[in-house]
Amino acid sequence: MSRPSSPEGLATSSCPAADQVSAGNTMWADIRALLPNTKEDLKLDFSEKVEESVISLLQQARDLLYGAGSLCSGSTRETCLQVSEIIIDYSWEKLNIGTWRDVDKDWRRVYSYGCLFKVLCMCSEQGTIAETIRVCDMGLLMGASILDNILVRIINVLQKHLTYGKRSAEEDTKESCRKKIRNDHTTVPSIKSEEVIPRLHCPSLEHFRDNYMIPQKPVILEGIVDHWPCMKKWSLDYLRQIAGCRTVPVEVGSRYTDEEWSQTLMIVNDFIDQYIVNKNSIGYLAQHQLFDQIPELKQDICIPDYCSLGEGEEDNITINAWFGPEGTISPLHQDPQQNFLVQVIGRKYIRLYSPQESENLYPHETQILHNTSQVDVEDPDLVKFPKFERAAFQACILTPGQVLFIPVKYWHYVRSLDVSFSVSFWWL
Amino acid sequence: MAEPGPQRGWFVFGFRGFAEPRGGGARRVEPEPGGIRVVRPAWSYTGLVTGRGRLALRGWLAGALPGHCQDLLPSESHVLLLRGATLEAWARGKGLCAGPAWRWPLHPGEAAGPLPLAPGGYVTPRPPFLCPLPPALRARKLVLGHEHAALLGPAGTVYTWGCGRHGQLGHGGLEPVSEPRLVEALHGVPMGDVAAGGWHSVSVSEGGDLYVWGWNESGQLALPSKALAEKRPPAAASVSQPEEPGCGAGKAELKLVSHEAALGAEAVDFISIQAFPALLDLPAGSEVSKVSCGSRHTAAVTRKYGQLGHNETASSDQPRQVGYFPANGLTVEDVVCGPWNTYICAVEK
Repeated sequence: MSRPSSPEGLATSSCPAADQVSAGNTMWADIRALLPNTKEDLKLDFSEKVEESVISLLQQARDLLYGAGSLCSGSTRETCLQVSEIIIDYSWEKLNIGTWRDVDKDWRRVYSYGCLFKVLCMCSEQGTIAETIRVCDMGLLMGASILDNILVRIINVLQKHLTYGKRSAEEDTKESCRKKIRNDHTTVPSIKSEEVIPRLHCPSLEHFRDNYMIPQKPVILEGIVDHWPCMKKWSLDYLRQIAGCRTVPVEVGSRYTDEEWSQTLMIVNDFIDQYIVNKNSIGYLAQHQLFDQIPELKQDICIPDYCSLGEGEEDNITINAWFGPEGTISPLHQDPQQNFLVQVIGRKYIRLYSPQESENLYPHETQILHNTSQVDVEDPDLVKFPKFERAAFQACILTPGQVLFIPVKYWHYVRSLDVSFSVSFWWL
Repeated sequence: MAEPGPQRGWFVFGFRGFAEPRGGGARRVEPEPGGIRVVRPAWSYTGLVTGRGRLALRGWLAGALPGHCQDLLPSESHVLLLRGATLEAWARGKGLCAGPAWRWPLHPGEAAGPLPLAPGGYVTPRPPFLCPLPPALRARKLVLGHEHAALLGPAGTVYTWGCGRHGQLGHGGLEPVSEPRLVEALHGVPMGDVAAGGWHSVSVSEGGDLYVWGWNESGQLALPSKALAEKRPPAAASVSQPEEPGCGAGKAELKLVSHEAALGAEAVDFISIQAFPALLDLPAGSEVSKVSCGSRHTAAVTRKYGQLGHNETASSDQPRQVGYFPANGLTVEDVVCGPWNTYICAVEK
């Protein structure tokens, strides 16, 4: 890509401020190289849902970015930052109106553009790399892809320039001694013979399809993920290294049906420190499309071959990460898609009830929780929920390397017995 | 020689849309011939109706304006006008389009207002423009949030409907409601006023008590907000405040806020969503006469001294007196919140 010479192109001279530290110089140059050459190439096309007043702000930010001197002058950077904040704040409100499903994708793109312009203002000034990554992550978590997923590519550049203090080898051994992944002190529930879920080693596609997928019966598949890099590579240290400074959504509270339950955002390092290493309360990195946010981790997993038996496209498969300490609980609930639950680290106790048992499981009557049972599976109130006792179920302790097939709308309850990392694949 | 009448004028602070400078302390709103009778702020512009019935638009909007206006409802996409015996909606571009996109002539004897109330229902500044209401409700006042609506009935009852995900309906849950439903928790206490913010609702009883419910993510309910507690700096000296001249009383209250933060976040029960109306304890037992809500803030005028107490977005979950007005010898008479700003009508004492 040749450097532009027209005045509408990005400033090619180095920013005076960044000259002070040569590292800052290359960082700004690397990030600049990711942007379109000219102002006209940075298209701001939106449906008429996005009001003209907002588009004029986006154009103003773009003009400042590509204008003479780029963002190197303190006052143009200050103005661009202000404009970016207004774009972010206004589109944030749009993202919070109605249900998330109904939010117009263009408003999520506007939000991402706001984050992009803010990030570019922050980059052209030294010293806030971790904060800049956080803003990129907000654009990824709440926005929608713009300019060929430019925010992910900007994070790649920023991460190279972020140096956190190297932990001493001594600290590492101390932590691993203090926190064995396998917890020998948890009471492991017993499973009766009639409740056992069948286990198969590398069944053929046809065998799985005919005996489990079509009749919609749960099964545990073994040996099918042994070659996935995650099985050997993933550890707390590895996750800190790859994703330590990345912002993720965390569920705080014992279970999502509790009143004190809430969701918050924090960086992975803090999540591991507060909820995995030092356990004062329950925090769960649950149901998050981590692998879209951090493509480097996606390289450590694959898509199970058996998903090809479904009717849907591979692009429509939703991959979620589930990472938390011992004791996280997902209350008994059902999902509208087939699920392959891949266990990577630690063990999980899982109970399954067929959709035919729904009447005995007392689903909540509200719209928000209609897919969730009111019953606490391991401590049921049989006075309030008498029919629960007669509901038939299957159970297992899912261990690393095993994959549980959960058919559509099959009720499932999950409790982690150790520090656990699972990857779920929702497919049709 | 006749005594000169008291100087009455409008002031604004907060986001000024697309006029320079953005944000900042209180500024006088430039007067109009005949005075400013009605202030209706949208996000990027504000609509004013002068004492002579002329429509003036300030901010990111230009172009020829239809005359003879009684009231308006502005939005980012349209301006809805009450002109004589007609309701009209004009589409917005960089100016207003050549003619109204929608018209609704009123029948002889019918009256519209206060907007958004209209015969048979209420109007919104975006399609479908006219929404029906059950006639039995006989609404006195109706207010619109981002995704809900509230109305004040003749006996001082409050009804809400719409999306309830942030507790803004006040029925105790998060479920949506499609038809106006009585807010049971307030039944028995006649309300004199009601206001709706983006995701919160406020009502004032005839006795001057303030009730709040809905989303408290920025402290807009004047209830403890976790997000703000996490942002609060530990030392009183470093608490920032906007440039507001003469904020003596404000400073003292800011100190109080910092002290509570020092006690530790665990000492307080944080509220993110208030699904039932909560009665607010305002300082010095003030009675509220008027209230208005922005997208994420609330402003109230108290009767006794005409103080204005308001919560600023992202900085305070404690009602705080705005010192500007007593410091300048002004009594506050009315308040109208735009999404990100506050307009105040004040008169010299």
